[in-house]
Formats: sequence, C-alpha cells, structure tokens
Amino acid sequence: MISAELLMHASVLLETGYTNALEEGFKIIPALTVVLMIAIFLGVGWFFRVAAVDELWVAGRTIGPVENGMAIGANWMSAASYLGVAALIGTLGYFGLAYVVGWTTGYFILLIFMAAQFRRFGKYTAPDFIGDRFYSQKARAIAAFTTLVIAFAYAIGQGSGMGLMAEYILGVQYEVGVVVFMLVTIGYVALSGMLGTTKNMAIQYVILIIAFTAGLYAVGWTQGYSTVFPYLEFGAETAALSEIAAEADRQFVEPFAQASLYGWVALAVSLILGTCGLPHVLVRFYTVDNERTARWSTVWGLFFICILYWGTAAYAVFGGLLYEDPVAGDTAVTEGVETSFMDMPGADADALVVLAAQLADLPEWLVGLVAAGAVAAALATTAGLFISASSAAAHDIYTNLYNPDATQRQQILVGRATIVGIGLLVMLIALNPPALIGELVAMSFAIAACVFFPVFFLGLWWENATSEGAIAGMLTGIAISFTAIINDVGPMYVGFGGENALSPELAAILPGTSSALIGVPVVFFVIIVVSRVTEDPPEDIKRLVRQCHSPEPMTQQQTAEDVAATDGGQPGDD
Amino acid sequence: MTKTMYDTILVPTDGSKVAQKAVEHAIDLANKYDATVHALYVIDTDAVDIGLGTEQVERIKAGKFGEMEELQERAKKATGAVSTAAAEHGIEVIEDVAAGRPHTSIDKYATKNDIDLIVMGSKGRSGVRRALLGSVTERTLRTTHIPVLVVDFRKEDE
Repeated sequence: MISAELLMHASVLLETGYTNALEEGFKIIPALTVVLMIAIFLGVGWFFRVAAVDELWVAGRTIGPVENGMAIGANWMSAASYLGVAALIGTLGYFGLAYVVGWTTGYFILLIFMAAQFRRFGKYTAPDFIGDRFYSQKARAIAAFTTLVIAFAYAIGQGSGMGLMAEYILGVQYEVGVVVFMLVTIGYVALSGMLGTTKNMAIQYVILIIAFTAGLYAVGWTQGYSTVFPYLEFGAETAALSEIAAEADRQFVEPFAQASLYGWVALAVSLILGTCGLPHVLVRFYTVDNERTARWSTVWGLFFICILYWGTAAYAVFGGLLYEDPVAGDTAVTEGVETSFMDMPGADADALVVLAAQLADLPEWLVGLVAAGAVAAALATTAGLFISASSAAAHDIYTNLYNPDATQRQQILVGRATIVGIGLLVMLIALNPPALIGELVAMSFAIAACVFFPVFFLGLWWENATSEGAIAGMLTGIAISFTAIINDVGPMYVGFGGENALSPELAAILPGTSSALIGVPVVFFVIIVVSRVTEDPPEDIKRLVRQCHSPEPMTQQQTAEDVAATDGGQPGDD
Repeated sequence: MTKTMYDTILVPTDGSKVAQKAVEHAIDLANKYDATVHALYVIDTDAVDIGLGTEQVERIKAGKFGEMEELQERAKKATGAVSTAAAEHGIEVIEDVAAGRPHTSIDKYATKNDIDLIVMGSKGRSGVRRALLGSVTERTLRTTHIPVLVVDFRKEDE
C-alpha cells in the first residue's frame, strides 16, 4: 500500500515534467571508480583462484571470525541496506526504523539458536539441511524452489539499486543502467564465481563501509550538522526536520503516524525471522572452522552491519534537510511539485544517500565514491544470491532429484544456465520494479521467515518434527507469504484493479512485506500438529538432531553425522 | 624390468560414459605395455563453486575434504570403476583424487607422478554448451607437455 502511494506520486510527478534530482550527464571520475572497483574484485578473484589444491586431507589456512564477519556483512548488506533503509526513513519517518531494528536483531537469534548448530550439521546447501533432516526428497524440492524464489525477489531490489546508481554515474537512463549493470553481474558470477570468495566479500565490505561512512561524515561536517560522531549528533537536525514536515502536515518523528503499531511490529518481526531463514546467510555457518568461530563470526558480522545501520537514520535526516533546502541543484520541493521531502518520488528516495552528498555540493569524486559503494553492496549480495540459486538448481534439484549420476560438467552447465536465466528475469522485472528497493527485499524476507525459519528452528531443536510436518508447514508458509505479496503488488504490477491492493482489508493485517507475524506462528502450529499425528522420525535422525545441540564440543573435523554414526547407531543411509 | 615407452598411464575420469570410453583404451594400452594405470578424479572447483556454493571451495582449500562425504563417494565410484575394469586384465590401478581446475590438476598430477601418457575422452560440444563449459581435454592438451591420447566419444557409442 505504501509503495502504491509512492508510485502514484511518481506518476503524478512525471506529468509535471519533473523526473528526479540526480545530476545528469556522464561523470568520468565516478565511472573510473566503479571500473577500478570491479577490476580489484576481478584481480583478487584471479589472484586467490583455486588452480589446484595440494592437500585435500591436511588442514590448511582457515578463515577467522573477523574476516568471516566481514563476509557476512557484505553478503548481507545489499542495495536495500545501503540505499533502501535511508529512503524508507526519509519518506516514512518513524516507520522506517522498523527496518533498522528488523535487519539487525535477527542476528541475535542466529547467534543464540542457530549459528553453532548449523555448523554442527555441516552440509552444503540450505535445501540439503531440509532434505537430510526431514529425510524427504519432496521437502528438499520445496526448499530448493523457495531458495530460487527468495534469490529472485531479493535480487530485483539489487537490480533496481544498480540502475539508479548508473543514472548518476554513467548519466544513462534508469533502464539502460539496469541492463548494463545486471549483464556485468550475470557474466561475472556465472563465468568466474570469483565475486563470492571470502576474500572478495571482505574487500567489498571494506569498500562499501568506507564509501558510506565517508559520505555521512562529509555531509555532516560541511553542513555543520555533525562533527566527529554523526551517529549521536543529529538530534537537533531531526527536530528541525520534523518541524518542516509538520508545516506540510506530515509527521516525521511521531510514532505510528504512517502505519499502525501493528504494521510496525509485523514488519520488524518479519525481518528478524527472515534473517534467520535466508539460505545465502546460513551457508556461511556450514563451513567455518568450528562452532566457536561460527558464534564469533556472527558477533563480528553484527558489529560490521551495525556500523552501516547506525548511520542510515542520520543520512535520512541530513538528506531530508538538504532535499528541502539544497546547497546545489534542484529537488521536487524546490521545483514546487511537492510540498514536503516526505513526498519525494521513489527514485529520489532510493537515491537519497547519494543525493544527500550531491545536494550538499560535495566534490564529484566523493559523490561518485558513495554511489560506487552502493554498486559494491548490490554486487556482493547478488553474487551470494545467484550462487545460492545455482546450487539449489544444480545440486538439490538436478543432481539429487533428477539425475543422481550427473557429472561435474553437467552440474556446471545447469548452475550457469540457472544464473543466466534468473539474472535475465531479474533484469526484466527490475526495469519496472513493483516497489521500493527496501520493500522488495523485505518481501523476500517475509518468504524466508514464513517458509524456512520454522523448519530450520524446529528441525534443529525438536527431534520429533517429521517430514510430513515439515512439508505441510512449508507449503502453508508459501501459501501465506505468496498470497500476501500478490495481494499487495499484484494489481499494481499486472495492471488490473488500479493502484491499491486486491483486498485492502487483507493487506492491512497481512502486508506483503510483513506476513511473518501471522505466518510464522501458523506454520509452527501446522508443523507441530502434523508431526504429532504422523509417525516419529527414524532413530538416526533423532540422534542427529540431539548431536546438533549437544553440550559436548566436537572436534574441528567432525560433523553431527559423524558423531551420530559413531554413537552406536546406524549410520545415515542417504 | 625394461623401460618401455609407456610405463605409467594416467586416465582422468569423472565417472561419465565419455571417460569410460577412454578407460577401455587406457587398459588395452596398459596391457600391451605392461604399464601401471593411475585413475584420477579431479574435484572441479568451478563445479563446487556453482553447484554447492563458494564457501565449499574454501572448505576444500582448508583441507576439510574429509567432511565432504558425498564428494568422496563420487570420486571413489569413478576411480573404482577403472580398478574394476582393469582387474579383469590383472592390471594394477592407483586411485587418487585431486581438486582444482581440471586441466591444471591433471597436468600437476601427471608431472608429479612421472606419467608417460594421458588418456582422455572427449565429446564434441557446440554452441551454448561449448560457451558455458568449454573442453577439459582441449585445455589439458594446451597445458601439459606429456603425450595425450584423445578418445573421441560419439553418439553411437552410447
């Protein structure tokens, strides 16, 4: 509903001739910055590429918690975090804070309940966990399908962010920008895979956090908003901005003015639980050295993520003030097409982080650096998503379900074809995105929360959860989350029934971005009830679950399956 | 024992029918030259990257192949097939597994083990498949200085 409103503004604005506030024209230094950045990623990927592994059986160099934490941060923080959160706070005020809370708190649940346990399980993909834990190929298939859908929905937001940044950097139209950057990303991930190595992820994190923080400090310093610690120095600015908003009859800091308390809580809960259900986040825990590293990686990851999230609200406030009264350039407010910054068109909102730097009249190279950071954020996350999609298709669907004798060459073929296919589809939808970047990504979180979180959580902690329970639960989760999303964006996107949700009543209690508050308890209930009435899981599965959270520490080389197998029980028969 | 032209023959296998065709030739040659056969399965890190996830490549790099049971089984199955076929002729087979880019790993293994001849299968690919996959055999030919016998696999061989 919220997005419908914003898109409506956008179409009204088009009629008045105003497009957006980003400066037009090709900019050589920012363009070179992006080229250099991509060259660094390629170079690092090439330098650390695996030509031949000398020792398969002897422990080599492992990745420490700090580096792994940076990789978690880069994998996690996408265009939605970099651009989207500030956009949502800028246009929705207090309501936008639900995104900040939601997208950080999930790591506590991961830390306490899941990170170390997943390490103990130690398999390859997220559908692997579902398939093995619930001893069912059907469950594996549903999980693989959901992984593909999440990657798809999540990546649309990234494509949209890259298109906006290309508008500034290359001075091309949004659509051209989406096509160019998406093609680069697809080719990059499909043919090299280099983008996703931990080294590259860590470097991507460093680039994006430097770009983001430099922009924030520079805007705050030059405008006299803040000095050494902008994170705690924007109180007066927030007060001033909310007064400006009030003059235009809008509420910036008033809680629940844009959406109800229910809407706020539902969104935060969806994002928190969605974090714990994202396949590309969880796989990182499978491979770390041991459980201790798994836990500390989560802590470091949260710290690195917080550095950015803490700054988003300050950015939104600085951006709002500058949008009202820019040092340089024109905005929808100064052009008189809008009365308040909170009504800025979607394209301006999603570019607010870069726009703030541009409106503050910062030098072009610095604005370009901020934009390049957004591209790095989008690239890193898209690489992780595409790889999770290709592994779901090549390993879980093709090899495990369709052709058990598949050779490695066939797996590569299926994997690369998946990346190209899903990439082109993402590109197509991103040309005309159905919602704001942050909202698009939130929808994939709602799916992850409704479908994956309950089976992951109960799968790890309740040994009596059965395959029938898991399948029923996942199907219920798919039904709930998909219904909510289609209800929300379906009419607007397909073009029937106007701009509003199919059923506004349903959208009020089950928003597409926040269906998990209702969905997750329902799915938990379904899994528990169905598991109770169906036959208990086999004994070796139960032992596997017990091993996943046994207090007895395991050695580095062990996984839960090994321990279960030497425990006197039957080894897994898969 | 007098040194013949081919004392050690390497046959890289991925367990496919294409590779199987090459195995027949390798065993026949080994029989005639009284050579030892090395059966090598290379875990293609590109396949691991795209098929299992980038993190899994790092897992292999960290020397944790021991935890990756399914991959071990695959390797064992492919090289085991060579041993079975060779046993009928009383030929000794050394089974091994390596990881990396296939052509680099094959060359490295061959050099390290004083291989005299590499026997590989090849399947003509064209169009999209060629663009997405390329040919391991072709790349091995260009990488290694050791003689390579390429056994073409045709449709009618299936």
